[in-house]
Amino acid sequence: MTAHAEFAEELAVFEEHRTEWSQVHPGKFVAIQDRKVAEGFFVSYAEALKAGLRAFGASREFLVKQIWLTEPVYYIS
Amino acid sequence: MGHHSFIWDASDPNDPGPLIEAVVMNSPDILAAWREAGLDCPQPVKIKALVDTGAAFTIVSKTMAKHCKLFQTGQSEVRALGAYHKCGDYAGSISFPNTSLRPFESIRIRSGDFIREPHFACLLGRDVLRRWSITLDGPSKLVTITD
Repeated sequence: MTAHAEFAEELAVFEEHRTEWSQVHPGKFVAIQDRKVAEGFFVSYAEALKAGLRAFGASREFLVKQIWLTEPVYYIS
Repeated sequence: MGHHSFIWDASDPNDPGPLIEAVVMNSPDILAAWREAGLDCPQPVKIKALVDTGAAFTIVSKTMAKHCKLFQTGQSEVRALGAYHKCGDYAGSISFPNTSLRPFESIRIRSGDFIREPHFACLLGRDVLRRWSITLDGPSKLVTITD
């Protein structure tokens, strides 16, 4: 499996669509590898993961991202 | 319905908190795809996990994430103790050996640095805890989890 820790290309694709997707599919999940977007928007992380595996396989990592207009910051205390 | 009870002394200042045993590994979907492709799947490892209502989500140590070869699906920003940290996001599963609690399959697990933390290698956050009923009977020091 190839490490792909930064997901630069996938995040660039996400940013190109963030405004549009966040209006139509807020809170849903999408799977992206390189510049390819797996078909569909999903209500759960697990469903988007399955869609990503169907579209891209598991030999190389892909991005699974929840769609928000503003990126949330999570708290650990 | 799953159930697990254990003793935890909330009054002990040296106690790290309520801990349960957990097995963290890749999600079954990833493992199935790897097996089909003839790739190696690491053996599961049992670790201690802290039941942590202060954690927005579940985090494993970066060492564990690497050891388990968790399948990375992104990164998140986390605020802890006033500082921001980048975490890896992984497609993982968590199960609880020697209990009847149901496993969590294909959930997003983050990784973080567990620096000088000898007691646990995982924070069980609210993404897991929200599906449980947890009670602490202080006088009898009994923690009960049901799902």
